Amino acid sequence: MPKLAKNCIAGLALILVLVLSFPIAVLAQSEQAITGTLRVEINEERTPVAGVDISVVQGGEEVGVETTAEDGTFAVTVPGDGAYSVTLNTDSLPEGVTLQADATETLEVRVESGNNKAVIYRLVSGDQGETSAFSDQAGKVARLVSNGVRFGLIMAMCSIGLSLIFGTTQLVNFAHGELVTFGAVMALVLDNGTIPFLVAAALALALAAGFGAANDLVIWRPLRKRGTGLISMMVISIGLSILIRFVILWQVGGDRQAYSKYRIQEGIEIGPLSLTPRDLIAMAISIVVLVAVAYMINKTKFGKAMRAVADNRDLAESSGINVQQVILYVWVLGGLLAGLGGILLGLDQQVRWNMGFDLLLLIFAAVTLGGLGTAYGALVGSLVVGIFIELSTLVVAPELKSVGALMILIIILLVRPQGILGRAERVG
Amino acid sequence: MSEQAYIDIDSVVAGYVPEVNILNELSMKIDKGELIGIVGPNGAGKSTMLKTFFGLIPVRSGSIKFMGDDITGLVAHSLVSRGIGFVPQTENVFPSLTIEENLEMGAFLDSGSFEERFDYVTEMFPKLGERKDQRAGSLSGGERQMLAMGRALMMKPQVLLLDEPSAGLSPALQDQVFVNTKKINATGVTIVMVEQNAHRCLQICDRGYVLDQGKNAYEGTGKDLLSDPKVIELYLGTLAQQVRS
Repeated sequence: MPKLAKNCIAGLALILVLVLSFPIAVLAQSEQAITGTLRVEINEERTPVAGVDISVVQGGEEVGVETTAEDGTFAVTVPGDGAYSVTLNTDSLPEGVTLQADATETLEVRVESGNNKAVIYRLVSGDQGETSAFSDQAGKVARLVSNGVRFGLIMAMCSIGLSLIFGTTQLVNFAHGELVTFGAVMALVLDNGTIPFLVAAALALALAAGFGAANDLVIWRPLRKRGTGLISMMVISIGLSILIRFVILWQVGGDRQAYSKYRIQEGIEIGPLSLTPRDLIAMAISIVVLVAVAYMINKTKFGKAMRAVADNRDLAESSGINVQQVILYVWVLGGLLAGLGGILLGLDQQVRWNMGFDLLLLIFAAVTLGGLGTAYGALVGSLVVGIFIELSTLVVAPELKSVGALMILIIILLVRPQGILGRAERVG
Repeated sequence: MSEQAYIDIDSVVAGYVPEVNILNELSMKIDKGELIGIVGPNGAGKSTMLKTFFGLIPVRSGSIKFMGDDITGLVAHSLVSRGIGFVPQTENVFPSLTIEENLEMGAFLDSGSFEERFDYVTEMFPKLGERKDQRAGSLSGGERQMLAMGRALMMKPQVLLLDEPSAGLSPALQDQVFVNTKKINATGVTIVMVEQNAHRCLQICDRGYVLDQGKNAYEGTGKDLLSDPKVIELYLGTLAQQVRS
């Protein structure tokens, strides 16, 4: 018997080696290229841009130069795996077409395992792309602050749900990032051309709210009923986060994907800032939604009941408030807000399977910074974190910007342990 | 049974931890409009009895009837809509809500009557009306107790359960609490009050129960219990005699 088993394993291993080596061998012989398509949106239509020179350099030596074809495509053949820098010759761009204001003409890319590498240049028509008169340090700061506010507002919508769930149930929900991804991905899946994007987004929001409710009804309510400890629940939420994240990866794949609409837009000059209509509308939506949520929490019966449950769950129950129902609505609200945040983030940075998880740590930072369990705290914390991480790129590399946010979190909590808006309670 | 008691607690067994019973076949019959004081040594199950009545602790056996209906095992918020109010001993206000919002939560199930009940409660406790926009978290112990009672009164309860309303208050404030309790009782509300402060409590209540180890050991009018030598020995204490001898 052991001998048979050994033979089996050896056989399987051989098959595996053959199967694995076959495609690699094929690919190694094929040619690799750096490819892409240049397009620009003119009058809401995406027009290919022809006759633009793209050069590829490796280690100071030019590897190849190509000019974009009639359909805007180009492919520069490269000798093998490795790092290349790709440069778009801006002088060769046709009249009236420029690179987007924040885009650079040279991109560093890595070609790996025999695959073609696609590069993306964002082009705009008109003179919006040109650096404006405010190209000094002040203008840069203003741009970073506006980016920070935009990101902070989106983050605030994601944070409020987390904060309210923590407030009412004391659960630290590590799977909250997946609520964000869920909304964004649902909008992506529904945005398949048969229905308008806005309808798809609205449907995705409804699904996100339902997903929040399902989270509570299927998992958290039964666990609360059984008296599961908070630490156990937190660990369960970590597991849930991993599960949902990889189901999404499995279903939609690991690439960044964009929605069909509002991809590339012309910027509108406002002082030193250049904001696209998409950015402006996203900010307007965020502000309107956040004001509405603040009003609801402060003035409506449900909002007061929610605060009462957060304050003292037993007393809320004793006052006649149906606590389980309030918690369910909090989950619905949390799912809805996170879904909306996800869709707006997807419009801004495209949709990816782990977009919510990447945001989670920043959301935690924002919520803790503002004061755990307070909705306004989540808002203020998000704006502080959003602006701070953008401004920190003035001094540190952009890759390190999140680190700065976590540093300010530690510093603020050392000075003010209850968070910015948290209140120290009178004892006794 | 020809005559049904207003509240009928019949051999109730209950407890927090599995296998450990705090209440052992506890029985009580309470009439409408009575002011009942429940006293007893520490750990006798006084607070447990109130919480069990209010559906916060599951009943293991026995039954609780209110106006002839079986209310055993009903959750707290459905008891509130039946006209039962509960004032916990500690953490009995919502600290981050204002006084007015606290009272609004008291009338959660019947927000239509908020104005009317708010006037009623602030008439009884004028201080609450004067400071209605203040956050409850900044109130002192006595003020909190006042607010907690006010909150429970917002639903116009027929039965009010008070868990040690005088705990942690100065003697003068304690008197105030008992006077207020008597005043509420005088409007026709049946009150069941658990108290550590037996002398004051038994002075104002119609009837009292002395609990010991989850059972009622003695029952009688407030005055009788105060002078009962067995009650004195079990619970009220014999400090005066000990010092004399």
